[in-house]
Amino acid sequence: MMNLSRKSALNERWKHMLLEVLTQTANYAVILLLSLLVGALVIFASGKDPIASYQAIWQGAFGNPIKFADTLDRSTVLMLSGLAAALAFRTNVINLGLEGQLYAGAFASALVGFSVQGLPKHIHIPLCLLAGIVAGGLWGLPVIILKLRWGITELVTTLMLNYIAIRFSQYLIAFPFKDPLAPMPGTPVLEATARLPKLMKGSVLNIGFIIALVMAFVIYWFLFRSKIGYEMRMVGYNKDFSAAVGIPVNRSAVLAMLVSGALVGLGGAVVIMGFFGRFLGSFSSGYGWDGMMIALLAQNHPLGVIPASLFYAALANGALAMQSATGVPQTVVVMVKGATMLFVTVKVFATFFKRRFGKWLASTSDA
Amino acid sequence: MAEAIAVQEIIKTFPGVLANDRVSFSVEQGEIRAIVGENGAGKTTLMKILYGLHKPDSGKIRVKGDEVVLSNARDAIALGIGMVHQHFMLVPSFTLAQNIVLGVEPKNKVLIDEERVETVVQEISEKYGLAVDGSKLAMDASVGEQQRAEILKALYRGADILILDEPTAVLTDMETEELFVMLRRLAESGKTILFISHKLREVLAISDNTTVMRHGKVVGTVKTSETDDCELAEMMVGRETIGGRIRQIAECGQPVLQVENISVLDSRDLLAVQNVSMELHCGEILGIGGVDGNGQEEFVEAIMGLRPILNGRILVEGVEIQNQSTRKIREAGVAYIPSDRYRSGVATEALVWENLVAGEYYREPYSKGFSFVWKEINASSDELVKRFQVSTPGLDVETGNLSGGNIQRLIAGRELGSNKAKVVIASQPTRGIDIAGTEAIRQMLLEYAERGAGVMLLSADLDEVLALSDRVVVFYEGRLSDAGYWDDDIRRRVGQLMTGGEGGCNDESVS
Repeated sequence: MMNLSRKSALNERWKHMLLEVLTQTANYAVILLLSLLVGALVIFASGKDPIASYQAIWQGAFGNPIKFADTLDRSTVLMLSGLAAALAFRTNVINLGLEGQLYAGAFASALVGFSVQGLPKHIHIPLCLLAGIVAGGLWGLPVIILKLRWGITELVTTLMLNYIAIRFSQYLIAFPFKDPLAPMPGTPVLEATARLPKLMKGSVLNIGFIIALVMAFVIYWFLFRSKIGYEMRMVGYNKDFSAAVGIPVNRSAVLAMLVSGALVGLGGAVVIMGFFGRFLGSFSSGYGWDGMMIALLAQNHPLGVIPASLFYAALANGALAMQSATGVPQTVVVMVKGATMLFVTVKVFATFFKRRFGKWLASTSDA
Repeated sequence: MAEAIAVQEIIKTFPGVLANDRVSFSVEQGEIRAIVGENGAGKTTLMKILYGLHKPDSGKIRVKGDEVVLSNARDAIALGIGMVHQHFMLVPSFTLAQNIVLGVEPKNKVLIDEERVETVVQEISEKYGLAVDGSKLAMDASVGEQQRAEILKALYRGADILILDEPTAVLTDMETEELFVMLRRLAESGKTILFISHKLREVLAISDNTTVMRHGKVVGTVKTSETDDCELAEMMVGRETIGGRIRQIAECGQPVLQVENISVLDSRDLLAVQNVSMELHCGEILGIGGVDGNGQEEFVEAIMGLRPILNGRILVEGVEIQNQSTRKIREAGVAYIPSDRYRSGVATEALVWENLVAGEYYREPYSKGFSFVWKEINASSDELVKRFQVSTPGLDVETGNLSGGNIQRLIAGRELGSNKAKVVIASQPTRGIDIAGTEAIRQMLLEYAERGAGVMLLSADLDEVLALSDRVVVFYEGRLSDAGYWDDDIRRRVGQLMTGGEGGCNDESVS
């Protein structure tokens, strides 16, 4: 039976959070270790040196401040995409359309970036970002209409809208907005006033990373501390329960779809405005899809998305370095990613650590 | 005649439930035996034991005179026992013929002899007079045809003892007639049939003998030709009266909930509730009886705004609430304890406080603007946990870690804690929880009624309905009939209504 004073209830809450953090840290340490082990076995089996390979990855990703900063930059769009996926999945909205929403956001921001001229930076940049956010969100609108009006599952419609977004953007850069000077199919270059300011000399790192980081905390607050986020989580946990207690189920699902699209649309805007400087047909190496993997890896926790996307970015930036230094093919990295996905679904480590740390916390508080 | 199958002193327990309590009976070859009883009387458990799906804790099973141990369905099939489940187990994309022979296909050396599959099925279908079109895909076949295929599937495997679990639940009247003709023919050809049902009319029409179960025990076995629906209904629901009623029916007379002529569809778009009207008065506990699946669940969901109504009106204190959002209906003063606490009572992955505030979180003082007011939420959750004696290590615990009884207390706390409800709809509020918890929740409902709210109590457990209710209405096949106010005779009246009896049994016919 509960008989706690206000103070000890607060204490209880802190302890609960501490336990959660400790458990998950240990859990992910094990997952990482096991996954690297899997990769090492494969490298070893192919006759190469696993330790040298991992050193090369480390060097490539974090070897010097510039490389470190580049990895942070790489994680930016992954982080926003991962947040978008986590938010949708939390609400049990299966948004498989992140890639399409990314394209929509990227193109819209580019459009505002190169076609609007003569604005000061502090107006032009927010305007471009806003264009990405709105376009990403709106790209989910057909999904919502089809679902609410005819009950068509978003699983199918989001997937199909990906192809529409990608092909349509290809058309746009091949005909109406073609830049004849561009080496690859793409729009004209953005105005200088639409480029995101760099954070470090010699690196591509820009304030987009800060934006993504802030968004992670904002989404965390939104999901776990706000009223609407609470509704979305409850709908995600159990739709029948939510309906029975009067939580607006449809509104939550619609909102999740819109916000999810807006987040990944922002990701598209940031990668164009921060890195590429123009919309290119081949700008995405599957960031939308990676976002889903990252959300899975983070168990749909917005703050977990930060390390998860850093991990993905490090592997991506390190893989090339590894291949050139040791001759181990980049695809080993894919195996390591796959292994993490597998191990993260294993619940036993978390259960084990939770029990251990739980006992330990209990014993320290008694003393 | 020779004994086909018999059970002796079968005991089967599930955690916290005694499902079969020293069950014994024996069935002769060529007999059609009906097994009847309320929900949870233990019929299905017993049949699963006979088909090798459950292992009894103790007791003996004899098949054709030999004592046997059934450790799985394959053992049962080898002994000639076949089961036709209530929900058909057919592969939708296979033809009916392929479904019938599935797993024991006629082979030509190693491969399945596709041509013979259909002729084999044709033969067996003609032999037993069960017409199926073997070339039809299972998903295209009518319900009746699918059922015939299920029966043939069992017969094809050599079954001479057929168990049918509520075979008529999915059939139209016409199909039921046809099924009965077929069953009689099968029995004449020497097959033994066990027929589970709670529809007394059908039991009387088809069976040779009827075994009645109640609370896991066999109440008795009677020759069907020598009994009537009145006697069977009484055996099913018992005849003891409930003593010690001290509650005075509150006199305030004002209906808090009026339902006028509503009709509701179920999830398959079939009419589940047909033109039902009722009134719930303040201070009253109205029991809603009926075997599960007769429309009471859809009725409640319609009141809560979870299911649209096709026609009619629903009024809370004179204000129309039909087809409004659940939130609006709750704000009008309706509290709801859903029947399946894990499906719609709580979110098991959510924390205790998150489940406790789910009905009130959106308004002051629990939230302001976009965010929660933690002080208020903590204080209120803390208070509810104490007042409703929810045993939990804290408010930040995943709700799924609590026991079923504590989850039910949590739900009760959320729904009844604010003391604001004018109408309380409690569906199966004590299902599967311990005695202390049951008592506590019953006490809360009584308190609510005494305070002047109207309480609507649905329960599959007739004893609970009778113990608490001032008045009982009964759902049968989507229609509501009134069993009247509580008196010494109410159990008998409810029993008749819930098994489809017309009423009109008198005490003389009950011997």
